[in-house]
Amino acid sequence: MADPTVTVEPGAIRGADREAVEARASKDPAWLRERRLGAWRVCEETPMPTTKLEEWRYTDVGLFRLGEVEVAAPGADGAVPAEALARFGRERAAAGRVLQVDARVVEIELDEELRRKGVILADLATAAREHAELVEPHLATRAVPAEYGKFAALNGALWDAGVFLYVPRGVRIEQPVRVTRWLTRAGIAVFPRTLVIAEAGSHVAFVEDFASPDFEAPALSCGAVEVYASDGADVQYVALQQWGKGVRHLSMQQTIAGRDANLDTLVVNLGASVARVDLGARLEGPGARSDMLGLYFGHGDQHFDHNTRQDHVAAHANSDLLYKGALYDRAHGVFRGIIKVHPKAQRTDAYQTNRNLLLSPDARAESLPNLEIEADDVRCSHGASVGQLDQEELFYLMTRGLRRHDAERLVIFGFFGEVLERLPLPGVVEELRAAIEAKIA
Amino acid sequence: MPYDPTVAQLGLDEYKYGFRDPEHAVFKAPKGLSEEVVRQISAAKGEPEWMLKFRLKALKIFQSKPMPTWGGDLSDLEATLNDLYYYVKPTERMERSWDQVPETIKRTFERLGIPEAERKILAGLGAQYESEMVYHSLKGEWEKQGVIFESIEDGLRKYPDLFREYFATVVPPGDNKFAALNSAVWSGGSFVYIPKGVKVEVPLQAYFRVNIERLGQFERTLIIADEGSEAHYIEGCTAPTYSTDSFHSGVIEIIVKRGARFRYTTIQNWSHNMYNLVTQRALVHEDATMEWVDGNLGSKLTMKYPSCYLVGKGAHGEILSIAYAGPGQHQDTGGKVVHAAPYTTSQIISKSISKGGGRASYRGLCKVYEGAHHAKSNVECDALLLDEEARTDTYPYIEIEDNSAQVGHEASVSKIGEEQLFYLMSRGLSEDEAAAMVVRGFIEPVAKQLPLEYAVELNRLIELEMEGSVG
Repeated sequence: MADPTVTVEPGAIRGADREAVEARASKDPAWLRERRLGAWRVCEETPMPTTKLEEWRYTDVGLFRLGEVEVAAPGADGAVPAEALARFGRERAAAGRVLQVDARVVEIELDEELRRKGVILADLATAAREHAELVEPHLATRAVPAEYGKFAALNGALWDAGVFLYVPRGVRIEQPVRVTRWLTRAGIAVFPRTLVIAEAGSHVAFVEDFASPDFEAPALSCGAVEVYASDGADVQYVALQQWGKGVRHLSMQQTIAGRDANLDTLVVNLGASVARVDLGARLEGPGARSDMLGLYFGHGDQHFDHNTRQDHVAAHANSDLLYKGALYDRAHGVFRGIIKVHPKAQRTDAYQTNRNLLLSPDARAESLPNLEIEADDVRCSHGASVGQLDQEELFYLMTRGLRRHDAERLVIFGFFGEVLERLPLPGVVEELRAAIEAKIA
Repeated sequence: MPYDPTVAQLGLDEYKYGFRDPEHAVFKAPKGLSEEVVRQISAAKGEPEWMLKFRLKALKIFQSKPMPTWGGDLSDLEATLNDLYYYVKPTERMERSWDQVPETIKRTFERLGIPEAERKILAGLGAQYESEMVYHSLKGEWEKQGVIFESIEDGLRKYPDLFREYFATVVPPGDNKFAALNSAVWSGGSFVYIPKGVKVEVPLQAYFRVNIERLGQFERTLIIADEGSEAHYIEGCTAPTYSTDSFHSGVIEIIVKRGARFRYTTIQNWSHNMYNLVTQRALVHEDATMEWVDGNLGSKLTMKYPSCYLVGKGAHGEILSIAYAGPGQHQDTGGKVVHAAPYTTSQIISKSISKGGGRASYRGLCKVYEGAHHAKSNVECDALLLDEEARTDTYPYIEIEDNSAQVGHEASVSKIGEEQLFYLMSRGLSEDEAAAMVVRGFIEPVAKQLPLEYAVELNRLIELEMEGSVG
């Protein structure tokens, strides 16, 4: 139960108040302090979403149990758990790494040569002081402003563990930049934030990994992600959500692609008790393209809600979304997606597909693939399906000597394979396969 | 659209059914909605007490429900509703013989080609003018077999028990704001009963006409297709074009009993200042089939989603929807299928065409409840955009609680393909002809489900609208 002396709004998270915002802003430059306070005002004015809102129709905010978590103190010390360090330092190729533990960034590493080329990988609060000319125009402005919604405003006011990546014009980073976000205990709320700016002609793959032990009680991660790809840049953004039990995951993500830019995203939801991801791709420059991939795999009482948006502002752009989910036990999957083609976005190609496998009698899925089209010279389509494993495929594999359980695993793998094979990051794909495998077993 | 003299000569800008008659109502309730008006309607119809109570309760529900914030733009509707006549009685009594219908009304329906149609193909015909049916007849052979085809008022009077058993069981007043409004002020519509095993081979038809300005028409239709029966009911709608908005809100309830098969076809061609907010729903029992064929060409805003509630094992529902949205029009249409029993199957096919700032939206639901095992449903939506002002939306809802369900949804949006046009033109067709042919092909799956006369009319309308629209 929430402490009755604390004001109920916003969202009854203990310690989410103006003082907390002020405390976080204490070392911020003036513009950022103003921005945080502005976000706080929006947060106070925005009512908590209810299932009466179309976009929250299938996810009751009560599932997040906001009253049972408290805003984590920023920069609190404490030993970095060995598990977190292991994950951070795991033998994975990376051009740069960041480790977040609870509400603070504890480690940052960047390849020296890249640093010389002008690449910046930094704690977001530090970057806001040292590189204001880069951060100020992009932070909570056009991508995920406070007006995006209640939780975006909450993050905008209270963000703590922030990561900033800047890739200068023409710089191509061959290995991925990896961020590991770790939670040590239940009962806390953290507000991670990511800002990626890829200048014209640059290339980077940015992989965020969310993990923690299983908890008995709730914890909350309420994040925001902003990714900008300038003209001709090639950017992949991957979010691999493998929180332990008990964690509630909220994430607002927005990508903005300029002329001829390529901006692909992959959102994977395997962990957490409840995950709600809002992911928008805005194609602002002609020739921009975006592959939006998603994969969710639920067990027990897990609840995953995806709210995607393909915003075609410019002509001659292309977006292709594929979200696939498999649900066991009483798991509940929601996909709501919209392709919005604005009046001037002629010659748009936009596609959207959502496929669901219900693997247990009590699993359920909702799929709402929407289209809003205001230009005529377009090619748009969407498809959605909900069904069981293909019995013929299972039967075939079993005639080849596989046990039912193994045959099922293979078919599920094949089902997800279609998503994974579209991600041009072989190393990351291997890790994902292992994570899915671990979950099936 | 660029000015095109051939199009102008065709009189395309004029709505073909937009003519009006002088007003000659025998009774007109005061403007606006109040308990008093509801009592007057009930008294004018000499209704039993329970119906008056039902209406008054529904009025309270209507007043307490908020205006929907989804679908079309209803921001001006409040004002329109306050300015409506809710009940206008056109004649003293309903006629059974066409000759007895007052001359002006008769002329109107003859201009619309109605009695002619009846003579040719129909088993029965009802015609509603303003708030009441002015004519209702059923051919003798069907009467002999026990088919009932009456105005809804006569249904209540003559078959009170049957009526009360089913009325408002499929669409209760609390279902939505406009179903509540209809429940409070309903007037006109049909009462149909098809006895067990009777197959009515030719369609029953009802025709709805609004003539005066600022009229709200609230027809209510109740249809019971008893076990193993078959029938087809068609409704058509038109109205004159006035400078103020009019309002039509019907409730259609259909009960399709075990093994029966029922088809309900609507060709809605209201004038372009009509709000058309209709609730159509069928309860489909074991092994029964319900088909909705829904053509929406007219109105300013239509919000209408014919529904099949599949409540018996093996029930089947089909919805075929075609919408045309021209300048100033918004067709927010689609269909709902609710699978509440095992082995139920359904299909929705929606085709929409939009042009000149018109907006066609598909909104649909496919719901499979837990325990409705082995349900199958397939939804296909195709939208054709004829120019750069056109707009189309697709809002499907898929809610699946049973893991043995097989549900698919596909939608595509396109403009007329240059390759298709090029091919047809290389065969000697003009660009307009080629475009019209592509559109005809596009709507063909729906058009072929219509009786010939309607199919011809639909094609003709589309063809007229298509002239000069490419390029």
